Amino acid sequence: MSVFLAVDHVHQVFDLPGGGQYIALKDVSLNIRPGEFISLIGHSGCGKSTLLNLIAGLAQPSSGGIILEGRQVTEPGPDRMVVFQNYSLLPWRTVRQNIALAVDSVLHDRNRTERRTIIEETIDLVGLRAAADKYPHEISGGMKQRVAIARGLAIRPKLLLLDEPFGALDALTRGNLQEQLMRICQEAGVTAVMVTHDVDEALLLSDRVVMLTNGPAAQIGQILEVDFPRPRQRLEMMETPHYYDLRNELINFLQQQRRAKRRAKAAAPAPAVAASQQKTVRLGFLPGNDCAPLAIAQELGLFQDLGLSVELQSFLTWEALEDSIRLGQLEGALMMAAQPLAMTMGLGGHRPFAIATPLTVSRNGGAIALSRRYLNAGVRSLEDLCQFLAATPQRLRLAIPDPIAMPALLLRYWLASAGLNPEQDVELVGMSPYEMVEALKAGDIDGFAAGEMRIALAVQAGAAYVLATDLDIWAGHPEKVLGLPEAWLQVNPETAIALCSALLKAGELCDDPRQRDRIVEVLQQPQYLGSAAGTVLQRYFDFGLGDEPTQILRFNQFHVDQANYPNPLEGTWLLTQLCRWGLTPLPKNRQELLDRVYRRDIYEAAIAAVGFPLITPSQRGFELFDAVPFDPDSPLRYLEQFEIKAPIQVAPIPLATSA
Amino acid sequence: MTVTLRPPSSVRRSAWVKNPKLKPFLPYVVCLPIFLAIWQVISAILGQDRLPGPINVVANTWMPYIVEPFFDNGGTSKGLGLQILISLQRVAIGYLLAACTGILVGGVLGMSKFLGKGLDPVIQVLRTVPPLAWFPISLMVFQDANTSAIFVIFITAIWPIIINTAVGINQIPDDYNNVARVLKLSKKDYILNILIPSTVPYVFAGLRIAVGLAWLAIVAAEMLKADGGIGYFIWDAYNAGGDGSSSQIILAIFYVGLVGLSLDRLVAWVGRLVSPVSR
Repeated sequence: MSVFLAVDHVHQVFDLPGGGQYIALKDVSLNIRPGEFISLIGHSGCGKSTLLNLIAGLAQPSSGGIILEGRQVTEPGPDRMVVFQNYSLLPWRTVRQNIALAVDSVLHDRNRTERRTIIEETIDLVGLRAAADKYPHEISGGMKQRVAIARGLAIRPKLLLLDEPFGALDALTRGNLQEQLMRICQEAGVTAVMVTHDVDEALLLSDRVVMLTNGPAAQIGQILEVDFPRPRQRLEMMETPHYYDLRNELINFLQQQRRAKRRAKAAAPAPAVAASQQKTVRLGFLPGNDCAPLAIAQELGLFQDLGLSVELQSFLTWEALEDSIRLGQLEGALMMAAQPLAMTMGLGGHRPFAIATPLTVSRNGGAIALSRRYLNAGVRSLEDLCQFLAATPQRLRLAIPDPIAMPALLLRYWLASAGLNPEQDVELVGMSPYEMVEALKAGDIDGFAAGEMRIALAVQAGAAYVLATDLDIWAGHPEKVLGLPEAWLQVNPETAIALCSALLKAGELCDDPRQRDRIVEVLQQPQYLGSAAGTVLQRYFDFGLGDEPTQILRFNQFHVDQANYPNPLEGTWLLTQLCRWGLTPLPKNRQELLDRVYRRDIYEAAIAAVGFPLITPSQRGFELFDAVPFDPDSPLRYLEQFEIKAPIQVAPIPLATSA
Repeated sequence: MTVTLRPPSSVRRSAWVKNPKLKPFLPYVVCLPIFLAIWQVISAILGQDRLPGPINVVANTWMPYIVEPFFDNGGTSKGLGLQILISLQRVAIGYLLAACTGILVGGVLGMSKFLGKGLDPVIQVLRTVPPLAWFPISLMVFQDANTSAIFVIFITAIWPIIINTAVGINQIPDDYNNVARVLKLSKKDYILNILIPSTVPYVFAGLRIAVGLAWLAIVAAEMLKADGGIGYFIWDAYNAGGDGSSSQIILAIFYVGLVGLSLDRLVAWVGRLVSPVSR
């Protein structure tokens, strides 16, 4: 994609008169192709116009940059002409003189006759011949807007920036002008960015609609591709059902934002309780390699340093852990990546229970292991497995820790990518990780997908070999997250930040190879991994294939590469997978869900408290091993391209009521 | 003025009131005679010597002050028209100097944030100084009553001009400035096409206040120390203390008021003439 204009990690912070700051835009990144028409849409106060002014160069971002054709924008210039919201015509100049001022000043290298021709052409282009010698106060709003657009186009800008250009006009005039603008932009091949709050206007004119979340700290919530061919006819467009899909998507987003605004307002009077925040916290976890940061933070006193008293409770199954949370016996837990989403939606017939995640604790660390007898049958890769299954009537029984566990989702994805239907060609059974190795040894199952610890133990016991690791499927996927009940988080934000800070520091230690011995020592304690820790935490990972154990870097990732960022885009992917396997309809209100679950505000406060640099992952989309691009803005399209899937449903999902 | 004092009959009066063309003048027709009547009554109570009534004033000054405004007996004995012209001449010089300097200084202060902010305290303090307080110091500096009077005009009139010009520049709508920034207008184009047109109304508001102040100041200055001028005339008449002196003073005051009003309207009219078309 050739980039014409890049908005690169732009933050905009204004100082308030009474001290303090207002964050208008937070980490906004956007690439615009040449000739593209982009609309910015969002509720008032979401920073649309701020972003437009930044692109125009009328203001400078507090950090980040605007790059136009490889050059940073530092000042306004006629190559980025702005059509201002209130026309900004000079009242003491006639229509022609207003256009002439722009043309004469910008195109001063052309001779007089050429400039006259351009001015007259432009006047005709917008049909203002009859009003050319009138003053702005003598003509109607629609005509003024046409003059403003004409003035913008006359100077041949590379980029046309329009700030709610039709907002003040009556519907009829607006419709006319929209069509004129569309025609002119297409004929002139102008790249345009338009701020609007009119959904239909955005759809009619744009190639992409960028939806901004509410301010303060507005971000890009979603980008909607409007793939109608050009030239467009308003009526034709409106007759297609696809138009209404897109329109619904936009309306839906705006409604979710409105609800979020209301919720934010309701949650505002919290600081009163700040003084009496809970300092004793009970956290649940399932033993595994990925509980390392939790154990380190506890045993090295990182929690205590921040005045927290943390009690860790180990669980055998995810159901038991979830029940404890619902009963209020825990203030939080190390959870499966999809668990906060699942609990908030009330998956599996449970009552929705809002869980927020301010921190991803670990990434990667899982693998798929098969019983050694398949190694003898020559199954060494996914292709081998396909062939083997095609040749035998046998269905493999594969154990997974939980349907929503990351190893399960990755296993399903991996199998389906090779044309194996995980519901038909294999049998997936849920099983506590504790039982997996024994079950495999006993021949109850043919393999399992789980964390490194179970895999290593099975390999060490000579019962299994590794068919694929997470790195072969999705390197860098979120594995365990810190999940906190939203209701508790609302009341104890400072405690939550302290928890995250301690875990962030612990994560850094865990990723430091020099700390390995110390970590083994901690994890060897019986409440964590016990004697298995030595085996599990060796630097070399034995695939059980008879080769020398190989060193895999970042098999568990606790810190590097912004590992801890609670990324709602990954959450979107998780939702697509939960939907793909029939566990939930794709939530129509997913933006709202993701905003509530992924608490980046707490994460950022913790990052700031620890003093780590705040770098957020820049990519919007990503892809797994099969290189199928995942675009978080069109999850439905992503889902539709898979052949193996449960019937896809899209529905609004009632979420847990907020605290 | 007192022609329509007594309407002949109530029937005709109501017809008069209903005439839409004349109706706007009704308040004047009613109120001004009442004012004059009250004045006459007070005069009658206090005695004509202390406060002449309107009829006495006209009668006492009819010859030569009302009939011959431009007589000149040499020296300072001149008709009121000539006295006013002398005053107006001083005002014109001082006021024009103040206008030129004020617009220039105000322009600089408006365009430079630094100077504007730095000099604001000086301006705020000096602008509140009463005109006559400048008189002694200007007499000391210039050693000449006429120049001093002009200086007092100048220093009195300049503040509103400076302040309004600077404010006008600061108040140029962001929209226009943004247009200029996006188009990258040259400094010259900016001043000609945006700064001046959008500041003119403010400047003229300042000039209008200034001309009022200038006229106030000249009368006062001439009363203190000057040769000729309407202020001098008033003070001279008071010192002379002759029969008609109080009537002369009142007539002069009336003329001072009329001239002040005309100056104000004149500047407002020029302002409208010069101001660009606005919304």
